[in-house]
Amino acid sequence: MEPSAFDEIAFFTAVSASNVRALVIGRRALVLLGLPVLTADYDFWIAIDDIEALNVVAARFDLHPTHSPAEARGRGRYVLENDEHVDVLVARSLTTVDGRAVEFERLWQRRHAVRLDDVDIQLPSIEDLILTKQVASRPKDLEDIRLLRALKEPLA
Amino acid sequence: MNPDRVAAIVNRRVSLEELREALEGPIGEDERAEILRLVQWFTRRYPSSEERLAYARQAYARWSRKRRGD
Repeated sequence: MEPSAFDEIAFFTAVSASNVRALVIGRRALVLLGLPVLTADYDFWIAIDDIEALNVVAARFDLHPTHSPAEARGRGRYVLENDEHVDVLVARSLTTVDGRAVEFERLWQRRHAVRLDDVDIQLPSIEDLILTKQVASRPKDLEDIRLLRALKEPLA
Repeated sequence: MNPDRVAAIVNRRVSLEELREALEGPIGEDERAEILRLVQWFTRRYPSSEERLAYARQAYARWSRKRRGD
């Protein structure tokens, strides 16, 4: 797919300015940390109370929610889409494949900011990003875990 | 290979053993050095967040074109 006219910088900036508690997760977070990985989608994990506020921002970019806020709360996730695809996690907590709970509030408390244009966008700590990768636990998530570990653990 | 089969391979959930290896298995000095070299190249060439996001977007578009055979 060719890049559309979607202005991702403006979108990230608008999300940040909206006060939605939104963490950038997934491979775009790796890219922001300096890892040149291939990715098609955008992935956010937001506070469960902030769905409506994010949808207001998304509407300005013609991104449409696949589910109502109530449905999204029940499912724990939804998608904002047009020819772009933004996965939005809204669950308070997720479970890793080996049964550990990953809580949004804890990740939010340990977040760190990355400067983008004139705003700060929020990323989980590297350690917490590794935890989020253990929820889906697909082969590419394992690759990402090793990349993040290499970034986190200094050379011997 | 049909798309459903590809999706099944790409999206399969790994075993606990595979996950444990990714989390705890040693990362060799060569592998680590290669990853850090890649990071150094990327962050030097694309120092700002805006440039890194733009690179990712363009790289995916290039990959998609190639996959389609354009």
